Parts: sequence; C-alpha cells; structure tokens
Amino acid sequence: MFEDNLFDKAFNLFSRVQQQDFEYVYRGFFTHNITKKILSLADLNIQKSVPFSTIQKRIYYIMVEGLQNISRHQDELSEGNDKYPGIFAIQKQKNRYYVTTGNLVLNARIPDLKQKINKINSLDKEELKKFHKDILKSGVISDKGGAGLGLIEMARKSGNKLVSSFELINEEYSYFYLQTQVPTNKKEEEDSEIEELKLRKSLISIKKLHLSLIIENIIVYFNGFFNQENLLSLLAIIKGRLNISITTIRLSNVMVEMLQNIIKHGKIDEEMSGVPGIFFIQQMENDDFKLTSGNYINAETSDEVKEKIDYVNSLSKEELEEYYDKILLDIDNISSKKSGLGLPDLRIKSGEKLVYNFHKLEDNLYFYILQTTVKSKK
Amino acid sequence: MEALIIHSTDDTPDVIFDPENNIFKISKISVPEDAYEFYQPVIQWIKKYSQDPLPETVMEFDLEYVNSASAKQLIQLLMALEDLNSKTKLTVKWFYETIDEDMKMLGKRFKNLADLNFEFVEI
Repeated sequence: MFEDNLFDKAFNLFSRVQQQDFEYVYRGFFTHNITKKILSLADLNIQKSVPFSTIQKRIYYIMVEGLQNISRHQDELSEGNDKYPGIFAIQKQKNRYYVTTGNLVLNARIPDLKQKINKINSLDKEELKKFHKDILKSGVISDKGGAGLGLIEMARKSGNKLVSSFELINEEYSYFYLQTQVPTNKKEEEDSEIEELKLRKSLISIKKLHLSLIIENIIVYFNGFFNQENLLSLLAIIKGRLNISITTIRLSNVMVEMLQNIIKHGKIDEEMSGVPGIFFIQQMENDDFKLTSGNYINAETSDEVKEKIDYVNSLSKEELEEYYDKILLDIDNISSKKSGLGLPDLRIKSGEKLVYNFHKLEDNLYFYILQTTVKSKK
Repeated sequence: MEALIIHSTDDTPDVIFDPENNIFKISKISVPEDAYEFYQPVIQWIKKYSQDPLPETVMEFDLEYVNSASAKQLIQLLMALEDLNSKTKLTVKWFYETIDEDMKMLGKRFKNLADLNFEFVEI
C-alpha cells in the first residue's frame, strides 16, 4: 500500500521541513546509549543553526531534562508496553526552537503531573526561582516521579510556559506530550497569547506525526540536514535500537549506502553544511524493513540517477554481480567520491528492484525518493 | 621499513602495517565519504613494501562496516598485494562475524577478483 502513494507519504512528511527550517524526530525506546546519541545528533544541528552559545546551552539543557523525564517514566512502566514507543522532537521555526517529548505514563500519574505543570505555569520568573529553591531545601525528591525539578528547570531555561497534553490509550496508560520553546533571537518580544497558540499548533503537528509514525510502524525517522557526522549518529542509534541479527546488520549496511547516496547526489545547503532531506525506516509485519530517503536534486543529476537506477533494475542477478565487479575494478573514476557502487550495492543487498520517484518542483529542482527493502532472515 | 600506523576514527579504520613486529592489519569501521583520500597512503605503503618484503606476510582484514566507496579502494589495495605473491609467502585473512553475511560476501567477491591466497576466519 505504501508503494502506491510512496511519493505522497514521503513528501508529506518532508514538506513539513519547508514550513519549519529544521526538524529532527526520533521515535522509539530511550536507553541510556540512545539518549546520548540523540543528544549529540541534535546538538550538531543546533550548533549550526543557533548563533548564540548561551541559547545553544539552554536548548541542550532542556533536551537533557526532557530525555531524562522520558527515561524516568519509562522505568516505572510494567513489562509488555513495548507497543507504545515514545517520541522526541526538536524543531526550529524562524526564531524559535521547540523541544517536544511524548511518552507513555500511567494514568494514575496524570493528576499529579497536571498539577505540577499548572503550578509551574502560574509562577513568574522570580517565583519560579524561589519555588525551585524551596523544593531543593525541603528535600522531597525521593519518589521516582521526582518533585518536578526537571519540569521547573525546563520552564526556567526556556523562559516560557510548558505546554502539555495527554492522549488516553487504555485503562492503564496515556501518552504524555510536553513541549517547551526557546526563542533563538534575544531581542524578539511577541504577543504571549499568539505565542501560546503557535506552541499549541506545533504540539498538534507533533502529535499528528507521532500518530502517523505509529500507524506506519516507522521506527526511526530523521528529517533534517544530512552529512557524514549525522550519518554516524544515526548508525549508532540504529545499532542501539535493534537487536543484532543477520537482518539488522544488513539494515545498517543498506542505511549507510542510502544516506551516502543522499549526501553525494543531494543539493547541499552550504549554510547548514548538509543536504536537507528525510530518512525513515519502517518495520513491516513480516519483520522486513523498508527504508525510504527523500531529498532535493537538480535536473541534471536526476537524469543521471534515474538512468542508473533503471539500468540496475533491468539486470538479472548474474548480470548485476558482473556489473558490480566491473564498476569495482573500474579505475577511471578511482579518485571520485562517487564510486558508482552505491545503487548496485543497494539492489544486491535488498534482493528487490529499487523503488524510486522523481517529482518536479521547479525547472531545475526535483524531489528524489528512493525506497529499498531489507528482507527478514531468521 | 618504517611502520604505517593510522588510528581509527568514527568512520575510518585502524591500520597497522608493522614489518618489524610482523603485523599487517586493517580493522574496525570503514565508511568514509572520501575513501580515496584515506586509502591512498595505505596503498602507497604496500607498493613500497612490495619492493623488499618479509619472507612471509599475513594481511588481516577484520572490518565491521565497509561502505561501497571503501570496497572500491580495498580492491586496489588487494591488486597492489598481488605484486607481493612472487616475493613473499602471502596470506590474506578475512575475518567476518557469523551473522554478517555481507562481510562474508564481500570477502568472497574479493577472492574471486584477486589472485591471492585467501583464508576466511569466522568469529
């Protein structure tokens, strides 16, 4: 079903980035190692897009608190809730950053969370500082949920209200969404009511995205700028996310080739020193994986790539092996970064024809989507 | 001859070519964007070594990830090793993990293309 409207799906997900300068979303479980990698990946992008280091640090602290919040809640859940992975998202829109977390919580904890958030939102800057101190002094930080110090920190660092929302899943659990925003421009002062509406709108869009990621069973989703550093972080996240098996090793190999395919052929954004694009991995019911990438490409490159994919797809298994060896031994382009092996390699490893789409956006601008399958082997 | 030691990074491998201690090994990860740049000095070193090699040379490849761009440079390295055949007893040891079919496949491909004594080691 996904192939039929491959372009629509991928482009709909991607076009969000055109309205938002940048977006990075992780959906899955949050182990210590994954959390570390998410932070470094997010940090790389923030450093490039935020001019002030004090603001970079603030966003970083908010991300740390948000991620710790997730793992705290994750720890108190009972076994068998692995059907409901959480979400972590950072988005940049004009002059502000949004950090959003969405994770499973016990319904029994909701009243307490609501009360804490309302209390925090009712306080001004000075009162918040005092409240923070009072809690530290009284020492009520023994229970798992904490005394809300993380929430207070997030509110203080952002200088804005916390926006939250709960989605009931069943008798036991709900999703708890929490969003904070940080202005990246110090001078800017806007109408706070409009600000809050914007925040709510952004939270709704993340909730919608989370829902479509759940429906499509997309286990990893990255929408942002691609370069070699990001590739390595994504690779580490995948390694931490899945058990090591024949299938997941192949998945990692295919992922490297696809991401380097984006980096080599895509249209580079010099300022962000990366190629804007989208990449996600779906886990199918039969445990196959589908990997989809999408990025801008100019007309000349798109003709070249299309011709190459069509050729690679037209070959039989034996012909494909011969072709791969021929390119491997070809020394004419030995020093080029484009080895010419990426697409045949993807075709061999996936064992299926490569699915692609080029969508014309402007005269010299196309959106290029590539999809490969990694079959489950047990 | 002076040893060639290159320390691994997040996307390039460890290289130890040390004739004095009789160690020739490339290990860890090889997924750089510019594989040509990385492998040039490695291949140059082998070409120089092949002029006056030890009587016996065991070249070990113990890699976790190899992107296609690196594969293209590794085959050049193997071609350079072919020159050693007549001067040293050369063995290429190709390590792969039991569950890593892709690494095994890549080794088999290299074995078919290069005239070298390959030994496969499953770990």
